[in-house]
Amino acid sequence: MGDPTMNTGVANASIQHGDHTDTIESVDMVFRAQRKLSFTYGAVFFAVTLAIPASSVWWEGWYSVPIWGGFTANYLFVSLLYYFFLWGMAWSYSKQADKLDMRLGDMADEITARDGEGA
Amino acid sequence: MNTIAIILVVGLILFTIALSIFSRRFTRTTADFYLAGRKVGSFSNASAISGDYLSAASFLGVAGAVYASGLDGVWYAAGFAGGFMVVVLFIASALRRFGEYTVADFAFGRFGSNRVRLITVLAVLLTSLFYMAPQMFGAGTTWAVLVGRGIFGMDPYTSGVVVVTAIMAFYVVVGGMKGTTLNQIFQFWWLWFAMLLVVIFAFGNGFSYPKALAEASKAPIVNTKALTAKELTTADPKTGKTPLDSAEKIMTAEEFAKVEAAVAVNDPKAKIPVALGSKNKLHTLRDQLFAEPGHRYNAFDQFSMVLALVLGTAGLPHILNRYYTNPSGAAARRSTFWVLIFIGTFYILAPIAGLAGLGFIKEYIAGGGTVAATTVNGLLVKPDQVMPTLGSILGGQWLMGVVAAGAFAAMFSTIGGLLIAAASAVGHDVYEKYINPNATEAKRVFVGKASVLAFALLAMLIGLAIPKYGLDQAYPALIAMMVTWAFSVGASAFVPMLLTGIWWKGTTERGATAGITVGLSSAIAIIFLNILQQLGTVGKEGILGFFGALTFPVLFTFPLGLLTIIIVSKIDGQLPKNVDEIWMRIHGTANERHEKQHGLDKVGGMFAKK
Repeated sequence: MGDPTMNTGVANASIQHGDHTDTIESVDMVFRAQRKLSFTYGAVFFAVTLAIPASSVWWEGWYSVPIWGGFTANYLFVSLLYYFFLWGMAWSYSKQADKLDMRLGDMADEITARDGEGA
Repeated sequence: MNTIAIILVVGLILFTIALSIFSRRFTRTTADFYLAGRKVGSFSNASAISGDYLSAASFLGVAGAVYASGLDGVWYAAGFAGGFMVVVLFIASALRRFGEYTVADFAFGRFGSNRVRLITVLAVLLTSLFYMAPQMFGAGTTWAVLVGRGIFGMDPYTSGVVVVTAIMAFYVVVGGMKGTTLNQIFQFWWLWFAMLLVVIFAFGNGFSYPKALAEASKAPIVNTKALTAKELTTADPKTGKTPLDSAEKIMTAEEFAKVEAAVAVNDPKAKIPVALGSKNKLHTLRDQLFAEPGHRYNAFDQFSMVLALVLGTAGLPHILNRYYTNPSGAAARRSTFWVLIFIGTFYILAPIAGLAGLGFIKEYIAGGGTVAATTVNGLLVKPDQVMPTLGSILGGQWLMGVVAAGAFAAMFSTIGGLLIAAASAVGHDVYEKYINPNATEAKRVFVGKASVLAFALLAMLIGLAIPKYGLDQAYPALIAMMVTWAFSVGASAFVPMLLTGIWWKGTTERGATAGITVGLSSAIAIIFLNILQQLGTVGKEGILGFFGALTFPVLFTFPLGLLTIIIVSKIDGQLPKNVDEIWMRIHGTANERHEKQHGLDKVGGMFAKK
């Protein structure tokens, strides 16, 4: 970590690292955008993951009908396809989160510059 | 005696010790001892996290669970992998940005009280102990198969537990986090290739995944158990039938004759291995086939187990500590993606090995072959021994040696991470903060090392107690089962606090403390009730019977912990005075922009001299 300069004694708290400053306004913006991204992906992840036991309980065609040798759809998904789902989700999320970090970083710098001009 | 296999394991141990000694010169400060100086790159960190994560439960337990329970066992693999999605989506980068040493540091930094830090330390230690116990059990059972005899007058199981504890304590004390990290990277790749090799040998010996699955699903699953003569001849009050009646229907005439002879001897202490029928707990009117769910879990447990596994990963202190070793939040995400690739490929292979073991071991014994592990009706009495047994059948002593070394590598890497987590909880979170805040750097490192030794001793005692209390006979795939208990404790104690602490500004200190306490105590209470029920101490009736029947408590205890935090925080309403500053530490990016601008986000040398 760098050596941050904190300014919490005024109404608008801020943390400065070198030329870069976080204000509560810029951080709230970052937080909201990241929350949207994380919880959207999280909803898809839990929906798919919990759909598997749900299907195991209520969908006979899913858990009892062989579709390839001894593989049922249930066995095939849990033993193989689920991993492709996880890899796709993690790759896509990481890329989007990186892009979001960059975009929000630029916006945070703009907010800081604007506030600096206004002060 | 498996001489070649033992030489390979001894070679692994010596290499491990050498790496620790090499790392010693780079472990001078507490940041070095606990966090490897925060200079571990994504690929290395991903390998180390994978090594940390893939324990005896993954290397021995998943294949054993699949071998014993079919599809319900495969879920362990999928759930263990899925857990990292929760980490990458909700926790990894925020935890790293906050930039502390331990989970207890996060709790203290976020909520600002000693009370929340200390309850978090307690939860870290208890979760780590729950995770340590199956590693110790794995050490004992693997030693029994590999060496087959004890040392210094101890039985084989005890020898395995004592030797692994001694080696682990030594290498963590000497190498600290850097030594542990380097070892975990090496150990992960060893166990990954060992698993791959077993699967390659299986395919090379004519294994076909879809055909083997079809073959295994032709008849209902057969359970194996070792029971005393009294247990075998005691009738179930509901059905009026004894386990011996059930065994007679399943076992071959030759095998059953051996059982009858053993029952006739009537030795009250002798355990007699038998094969018994299975029941489908999910679809009670269907036979329990290998490719179908229901061998272990009813409808409730199907959901509860999935939640325990996917939420539990985010509650494992030794895994969370690893995120502090990343150089940035983005690197933490990249590490997690690589972890998913590494462990995902491993978890695709492990169920194949479990299924292959079912066919190959039965065929080998039917052909007149003998194996070191106890078998009945062509099946292993302890399914957790499927990996070394299969290795021995498919590739002789060499492959068995590679597998046994892989099993020890899995135990070493996880125990290493757990010892570091426990040491940081006691040494960093308690000693440095409360007992002696002015301690010199050398004294702090010394206390960390002493904590490692104390915790290793405690874990060893628990490992030795497992067979004494008959736990190894109460559950068909004990290693995987016990690890899932650790997941349940972590998921209930930490995850609600971490999720609300990171994503809900309104979380208060009282809310977090209450949530951790309720989640931790309720999860442990239900797990012990389940154990006591399996051992026959607690009945199946009434409220205790209901909770005791929950194999995984997470479906109750996670929402309970979460709701406690929300309700208490709403009632309390007292946010930390510096909540905006805390919020900026968790979600702010100024530091990362600064480091990126000046190229400080690049990984230096983990082993560079200062």
